[in-house]
Amino acid sequence: MKDKLVDLDAAVDLVESGDTLTFSGVSMVRKPMAFIAKLIQSGKKDFTIIDREPGMDFDILIAAGCVKCARAAMVGFELFGLAPNVRRAVQEGEIQFIEETCGAVVNGLRAGAMGLPFLPVKGIIGTDLVELHEKLGNWKIINDPFGGGEIVAVKAIVPDVAVIHVQKADRCGNASLEGSRFEDVYKAKAAKKLIITAEEIVPTDYFKENPERNTIPYCYTTAVVHVPKGAYPTACPNYYPPDYEEVLRYLKMCREGKVKEYIDEFIKRW
Amino acid sequence: MHPADVMIKVMASQIKDGEVFLHGLASPMPALAMFLAKLTHAPNMVYLAVAEGIDPDPEKFKLYPSSADPRHAAGCIGIGELAEAFDLAAKGKVDGMFLGGAQIDKHANINLTCIGSYDKPKVKLPGGAAAAYLSPIVKKLVLWTTNHSKRTFVEKLDFKTGIGYEKGKDKKVVVVSNMAVFEAEESGLRLISVHPGFSIDDVLSEMSFEPVVDGYSTTQPPSDEEMKIIQRLDPENVRYLEFKK
Repeated sequence: MKDKLVDLDAAVDLVESGDTLTFSGVSMVRKPMAFIAKLIQSGKKDFTIIDREPGMDFDILIAAGCVKCARAAMVGFELFGLAPNVRRAVQEGEIQFIEETCGAVVNGLRAGAMGLPFLPVKGIIGTDLVELHEKLGNWKIINDPFGGGEIVAVKAIVPDVAVIHVQKADRCGNASLEGSRFEDVYKAKAAKKLIITAEEIVPTDYFKENPERNTIPYCYTTAVVHVPKGAYPTACPNYYPPDYEEVLRYLKMCREGKVKEYIDEFIKRW
Repeated sequence: MHPADVMIKVMASQIKDGEVFLHGLASPMPALAMFLAKLTHAPNMVYLAVAEGIDPDPEKFKLYPSSADPRHAAGCIGIGELAEAFDLAAKGKVDGMFLGGAQIDKHANINLTCIGSYDKPKVKLPGGAAAAYLSPIVKKLVLWTTNHSKRTFVEKLDFKTGIGYEKGKDKKVVVVSNMAVFEAEESGLRLISVHPGFSIDDVLSEMSFEPVVDGYSTTQPPSDEEMKIIQRLDPENVRYLEFKK
């Protein structure tokens, strides 16, 4: 095992303009916000971003003009309303938006993690999403070779980079997801490069003492960054809950046309 | 009584003891309905949710604005990845799912994707989440809307994100609005009950299509005991936020 501990700037160097990126978490939980702040600061752009149910991570990257295409089953701020910058950018034709459905995006990532070209996924047939994805070449209706009828084949999703914020990691890139994991283990294994950002750097013995803690072993990891509060204002389970007031402040500033001010503040936070 | 509390009671009554139910993001009322069922008539229902705690402890539960808030998994018996809940649904072992609907047609098909065309939307909605995947494969679909209006109950969807009634399938589709309860059948959306405080005219004048109406009843609101449970789980009235748009 090699030492893979770097700072945020060095981790951002692993990303290139035009890459396809995926991030940990859902909605207001365990989004790698510190990494996203540094990514915006780097000036890199034209990203395709893909996730199941993102929130502020997608919205702020789009607000900063870093995104060419976004793929998600749902993006928003739940009870706080629509994602203002996603909405504006899509309605004005500034970015391409591809609506996914949860079961397809999850299994596309699983196929990526398994090294398979696609996975068959139930449901979906009969909705308008099929035509959209068949046109884009992401899905295809096939016949079950064992006689089970029509089923949707979902093409493997292999992001260039996955950025996964975890509670604990060691310097070599062994990482521990505590509580909800969402699709993060699949994302980590599907991506060509894996960046772990962690609340705490723990000694490797933390994993040796109790190997069940190791949800993403070092052999998948490209780089590790120590970033306390790296998911803020989204939650990091066992460390801090979502800061709803801060999320509402972001949305208020967006409404008032002050998103650039928020971004200036955001990129200086870490 | 606030329509949210009536809707929660209706949603809870869709869950039978021992059934497996799942809720996703932006789902405060489904979460409260699942707990209400568990604490009253369905103690053995299996609670699966986007926060990934299996059977969270209702004694430790308090409702927060994000359904994925990690505190919603407090006291759970295990972590169940949403991906695993989707696998279970593919095996036919998720009995029910709750989904919202920005537009609902007379077959209880739903649109959560866009108003206007997909390529040039007038409004880009949050998206269907698991609707396209789960709506054809669960046995019970409970759709809800807090906006009973002609804009919600439409003749034609702008985009078909989820599938409601399917002929010949063992599938029940219930629609719960802030005014009434419907069930989808071959001839259309059948009116089951009207909530207390609303008239049949209120219900019909705010729909772009005619539902099937013959006998219908008044929706049973929660009892005092059930209201105490709802208030204890949601002391800050997060469940009412969805009505303020």
